[in-house]
Order: sequence, then C-alpha cells, then structure tokens
Amino acid sequence: MKTFPIFTALAALAIPTAVYFVFNVAPLEVEMGVIQKIFYFHVSSAWLCYLGFILCAGGSLAYLWKRNTRADAFALASAEVGLLFGLIVLTTGPLWARPVWGVYWKWEPRLTSMALMVVIFGAYWMLRTFGGTGEGVRRFASVLGVFGAPNIFFVHFAVKMWRGNHPQVLNINGGGGISPEMRTTLYGVALPALLLLFGLLLRLRYKALIDERTVKAMRRRLARIGVF
Amino acid sequence: MNVGYTATVLWVLKKDLQTELRSKQTLAMMGLFSVVMTLVFAFGFASDPQTNAKVFPGVLWANVLFVGTLGMGRTFAREQLDGAFTALILSPAERSAILLAKMITNLIIVLGVLLIVIPLLALMLQVDLTEHIGLLAVQIVLGAFGFAVVGTPLAVMATNARFAEVLLPMVVFPLVSPVLIAGVAGTGALLGTTIESDPYPWLKLNLAFDTLYAVGGLYLFERMVIE
Repeated sequence: MKTFPIFTALAALAIPTAVYFVFNVAPLEVEMGVIQKIFYFHVSSAWLCYLGFILCAGGSLAYLWKRNTRADAFALASAEVGLLFGLIVLTTGPLWARPVWGVYWKWEPRLTSMALMVVIFGAYWMLRTFGGTGEGVRRFASVLGVFGAPNIFFVHFAVKMWRGNHPQVLNINGGGGISPEMRTTLYGVALPALLLLFGLLLRLRYKALIDERTVKAMRRRLARIGVF
Repeated sequence: MNVGYTATVLWVLKKDLQTELRSKQTLAMMGLFSVVMTLVFAFGFASDPQTNAKVFPGVLWANVLFVGTLGMGRTFAREQLDGAFTALILSPAERSAILLAKMITNLIIVLGVLLIVIPLLALMLQVDLTEHIGLLAVQIVLGAFGFAVVGTPLAVMATNARFAEVLLPMVVFPLVSPVLIAGVAGTGALLGTTIESDPYPWLKLNLAFDTLYAVGGLYLFERMVIE
C-alpha cells in the first residue's frame, strides 16, 4: 500500500473503543442485565443494513441512467456489505430474544420485515453470484436493487398490519426506556464505530470489484492481440 | 408510422391473447398445475369446516403465487424465438406500452386460471364464498395485478440471465410478500377467520403497492431494455 491506511487504522481503533463503552460506560440494564449489551451492536447493524440497501438502490438507479459500471460495482458492494450487517442483525436478535422472550423467533413486525429484506437482497446477491456477469444480468440486478428499496416500507407496513399493533417488543429502541449513557453509547460510539467498519468494507469490496473488472478487460485485450 | 400509446397497448395485448387462445399452452399448463396443487393442499389441510376456512386464504394465495410465477416465466418465451423480442423492442412503439400490454396479458391469463381454480378450491375445502364474492374478486384482481407489475419487468430482464427459471421466483417471491400478506389477511378478514374483520385497509395497501410498482416499472422500462 502506498499511503498509510488511515481508514483501516481508525476502524481498528473504533471497534475496541465501542466494546469498552458498551461494557464500562453504558449502565447495566436493570431487568435484562448483561444480555442487553448486544443491543448496541444489534441496533447499529440494523441501521447499517438499511444504509447498505439504500446505497444499493442508489447505485442501481445511477447505473440504469448512466450505464456506468462503477455505479454498478458500488451497488453490488453496498448490497453485499448491507447483507452482511443484515445477517449480524438476524444472528444477534435471536441470541437476545432467547433469554428475554424465551423464544428465538417471533413473527413480530420488525423481525419479519428484516428477514424479508435480507431475503430480497440475498436474491440480489445470488443473482450477481450465479447469474453471470453480462450486461443483461447487471441490468436485471439494478432493477431488483431499485425495486427492493421501496419494498422495505411496504414489507414493514404489511407485516405491522398483519401482526397487529400490539407492543410485543420490549420498548428498548424507543424513547422511554433508554438512559442518556445508553443513548450516547449507541449513537455516539457503537454506531459510528460500525459505520467506519461499514465504510471500510464497502471501500475494499468496491475496489476489489473494480480491479477484478480491470483485470478481466486486460485479459480480453491481451487475448485479442494473441498474448494468451 | 406513429401509433398512439393506447393503440400500441391494445395491439400487443391482442397479439398475445390471440396466440395464447390459439395454442392455450400457458393456460392449460397453469390450470393443470393449479389443480394438482389444490389437491395437494386438500390432502394436507382438509378437515373440519372451521379449520378449512382458516387455511383457505393461505391455500388460495399460494395458488395465486405459483400460478402467477408460472405465467411470468412464459411471458416472453414466445418472443425469445427468432429474435422476436429484439424486433418488438426495435419497433417505433413506446417501450412502456409493450410492458403495460405484457402486464395486462399476464393478469388476464392468471385471472382466467383462477376463475376455474378458486371455485374448485372452495368446493374441495367446503368454504362458502358467495357472501363476499364481490370484495374477494377485487382482492384477487388487485393481488394478481401486484404480482404482474413486479413480475413482468423482472421476467423481461431474467431472459438474459443464467438459471433464469430458478432465479425469477427467488427474486419475485420476497418482493411480492406485501401483496401476499395483504391477500391472505384480507381474505381471512372477509371470511371472518381473523380477529380484524375489516378488509379495506388491506385493499388500500394492495392498491398503493400496485400503483407504485406499475408506475415505477413503466417509467424505468425505457432504461431496462436497450438492445
């Protein structure tokens, strides 16, 4: 690497800081105890998962308009990183739910809509991974990326109506039950730390995709002039 | 030659429906598939009238989902032969008009199949639909249309991808899940098997979904296909 990887270094520092804050600064939740600590990473990941999918939709839209392969690579990278954070959400959620609710899974609006979203972008990823790399697939994926983002709202709304509006989640995400230290730890430390990680992964993945394409293009050119 | 938008829609629609009515290929395939699936559901779920009424919405909408998917995969099957799709796209017609016509074709074929299958289903599961037939029809039309507006543009795109026949349902099912939820819950509300007995919010949700994706799909279609 030519320059000092500031981004990487910052992310490497931020994560342990977040862990420190989560365990030493944020107070212990009265009822749930130490189990509640997972919530800082869980909620932050959920935000970043949404962010990834929204960026994917943006990149896809840009690709449909400009036919810029960089926009397409950006969309793919965003979807992949968003998907990763989505999987973190879906792993940490049940881990928290088992001791607190007594079950790993409930057909509760937020859970269901998150699961469906991950499935939508899972399909996107599948398409990109197994569907080939042609222009047609890229366009197909872009349409899916653009269609997928507004779907989040519909899915959320539909699932909410489906299960009724009864408060089934302990309201730790809302305004009431969260102390100022908890809020600071979540939005001031954990979320920014994971955001740095998100940015880092996105950048790395994006660069890798661009490099991959450059190498492929070079190969093709070399093959044409008969080197290979 | 400059043909108007509505005229284009009608031309493509007429062409597609005519070919379908002559061969009845898709209709027959979807119809038989649906009947087979209904039988399977009946084996799995048929029991006392209360239970039947409870599972009916789910069975009904699973049928809509599968029949719709089968139909979608066939939308552009004919056009793939002999470069007919390219010819269609290269014609001076508005592209979104072609897409709209395809959406409507899909809707009509799916509704045609459901018209046979739903009474059969009701008969097999002994559910009385006569009381709410009007609202149920509205629900099914809105639901099937929601399916068509999301599925048709994706079906066009899928013709370019490998494993299209596997990929398409995988991509479409989660996207139409709001329609499916609205359908199942709405029909349940009609039949009185759910706590909430008001089907109108579900109709509104379905209508909003249909409108957004129809407009979005038609608007984006120009960008989707550039041959």
